[in-house]
Amino acid sequence: MSAATQYYIATILVYICVNVIASWGLDLQFGVTGVLNFAFILFQAAGAYTAAMLSLGPSSASGGFQHYLIGVNLPFPLPLIGAMLVGAALSAVIGLITLRRLRSDYQAMVMLVISVVATVVAESVIGLANGSAGLSLIPNPAQLLGGFTRQTQTWFFVGLCVICMLIVGVVMYALVYSPYGRVLRGVRENEAAVEAMGRSATKARMQVFVIGGALAALSGALLAEFIGAWAPSEWLYPETFVFFTAVIVGGRGSVSGVAIGAALVAVGIQQAVQYMPIGSDPTLLAAMEWIITGLLTLIFLWIRPQGLLPEQRRRYRRARQRTPARAEVREPVGT
Amino acid sequence: MAVFISAVGFGIVTAAILAISAVGFTLQFSVTNVFNLAFGSVMTLSGFVAYWLNSAGVNVWLAMAVAAVSGGLISLAINEVLYTPFIRHGLNLFGMVIVTISVAVIFDHGLQAAVGPTFFSYVAPAGKAFHFADFILTRQELIIIGIALVLTILVQIALQYTRAGKAMRGLAVNASLARACGIPTRRVIALAWFVSGVLAGVGGVALFLDISTFSATTGSEFLIVIIAAAVLGGIGSPRGAVLGALVVGIVTEVGAAYWNPELKDVLAFGVLIAVLLVRPQGLFSRLATERAITR
Repeated sequence: MSAATQYYIATILVYICVNVIASWGLDLQFGVTGVLNFAFILFQAAGAYTAAMLSLGPSSASGGFQHYLIGVNLPFPLPLIGAMLVGAALSAVIGLITLRRLRSDYQAMVMLVISVVATVVAESVIGLANGSAGLSLIPNPAQLLGGFTRQTQTWFFVGLCVICMLIVGVVMYALVYSPYGRVLRGVRENEAAVEAMGRSATKARMQVFVIGGALAALSGALLAEFIGAWAPSEWLYPETFVFFTAVIVGGRGSVSGVAIGAALVAVGIQQAVQYMPIGSDPTLLAAMEWIITGLLTLIFLWIRPQGLLPEQRRRYRRARQRTPARAEVREPVGT
Repeated sequence: MAVFISAVGFGIVTAAILAISAVGFTLQFSVTNVFNLAFGSVMTLSGFVAYWLNSAGVNVWLAMAVAAVSGGLISLAINEVLYTPFIRHGLNLFGMVIVTISVAVIFDHGLQAAVGPTFFSYVAPAGKAFHFADFILTRQELIIIGIALVLTILVQIALQYTRAGKAMRGLAVNASLARACGIPTRRVIALAWFVSGVLAGVGGVALFLDISTFSATTGSEFLIVIIAAAVLGGIGSPRGAVLGALVVGIVTEVGAAYWNPELKDVLAFGVLIAVLLVRPQGLFSRLATERAITR
C-alpha cells in the first residue's frame, strides 16, 4: 500500500473510533437515560482544548504565534486523562445549573444556548485558546516513537484510538446491561416508578451527564491530537445533531447499534458524498452531508425509530404468568 | 451618557426585531407544544423571498409583506406535511425537537446549496437619520420599531378579544378540554402555525434589513437569541416574549457599547441563566413542568 492510501485508511479508522466513543457518550445520556443534551459538542471541544493546552509548551514559547492558557507540556497519557476530568467537571457544573431545577424542555433549550455562548467566548477571548484561529501544532503522543517512520507513528495512534474505544465499549456494556443500567432506562421510561423504588432520577441524570461528558472529552482529545489543530469552527452547535443522528440510526440504548450508527453517519456519509456526481465544490459537499444527515434522521424516525440494531427489551416470561401486582413489583421500570 | 442613550436606541431596534420573532415562536409553542427549531429557517427563507423580489425592483417594505405571507404558508406547509404526520406517528416532545432540527438542517443547507455560501443584502436606503435627544435612529429603524409595536399589540388584542385568539388560549391551557368544548383544534393549530410563520417572515426581513448582510444560515443563528428572549419571558407567553425581547435587546446593545461588542450575546445569555436560576419557569410562565404535545 502506498503511504497515501495507508494514511487515508488510518484517518478513517481514527475518525470511526473517535465518533463511536462520542456517540456512546451521547447514547448513555439520550438513548439510555433520555437526557437531551444539546450542548454535547461543547464537551468534546472542552476535551480537545484541554488535551491541547496540557500537551503544548508554554504560550510564550511559541513566539507570539498563538496565545492560550496553561501550556505545561505534559507527557502522553496525562493530557487524555486531564481532558476527561475537565469534561466531567464541566458537565457537573452545567448539569447542576440545568438538570436540577428546570423543566425538561427548558433544559434542552438552555443547553443549546450554552453551546452557542461557549463558541462565542472561545472565538472572542483570544488569550483563552487563540480565538477563532484556534490552536495548532498540538503534539501527537505517537511522537514519542521518535526513531520510527511517520507511517509507524500513524498506526501507533490508530492502535491507541482502537484501545480507547475498546475500553470505553467494555465500560458501556458493563454500565448499560447491569442493574444500574436498568435504573437509567427506568428514568427514561417511567421516572415516578424509579423514584418510588427509592432511586433518585435527578441523581441518575447527573451521573450520565458527567460520564457522557467525560467520554465526549476523551473523543475530542484524541481528535485534536490526531489533527494537530482545534478551532471553534470544529464545534459549532449543529455538530451535536450529527451524534443524535448516529444514535437514532444505530438504535437508541443499544451499545453495538450506536457503534454502527456512528461509523455510518459520522464517517460513512462524509465518504459517500465524495463519490456523488455533484462536483467537488466544498460548500456543496458540506451542504449535501448536512441534507443527507437530516433526511436520514427523518426517515429513521418515521420508518425505523428503534434504529438498525434495536435495544433488546428483556422479557420476563415467568413474571407475566404471576399476578400482575407482583410482576410489577419485580420489574416496574419497563426494561 | 450619550453613549448609553444611543446604545439603548440600538437596543430598542434589536428588541423590536426580537419581539416580532419571539412572539411568533412562543405563540406557536403555547398552542402546540412543539419546540420549532426550524423557525429560524422560515425566517431565512422568507428573507430570501423578499430578497428575490427586492432585487427584481420591488420596494423592500412591499417585499416584506409578501415575505410575511410566504412565511406563513411555509410554516403551515411544514406543519401539515411533516410535523402533524410525525405527531400522529406517536413522537413525543423530544422526538419532535429532533424532527424540527432535521427540518432546519435540510432547509438551511438546501438553501445554501442553491444560493452558495456568499452574503446578500437588500437594496434599501436606511433613510434620513432622526435625532431625539441623544437617540439617533434612521427612518428604516423607526419603521421596524413601528411594525413591531403594531404587530405585538395586534397579537395581544387578537388573543384577548377575538374568537380565534380565545380558542388559541383555550388550547394552550387545556387542549382536550378545548376540543370537548367544540373548538376545532386542528384549524386553530393550523392558524397558530400560519401566524407564527407570518411573524417569522416579518422578523426575518427586519433582521436582514437591520444587520444589512445575510446568508443562508443567518436566521438559524439568530434563532438562539430569539429562544433566549422567549425562555426569559416564560415560553408560551407572548407578553413575556416582548418583555424578554426588550431585556435581551437592550442588555446586548448596552453591553456592546461598554464592553467587548463580540461578547454582547454572552451578557444576554448570562441574564437568561441568572433569571432561570431564580425563577426556573421564566418571568411570565406559570408552569413549572413541561406539557405534552397537543394532538
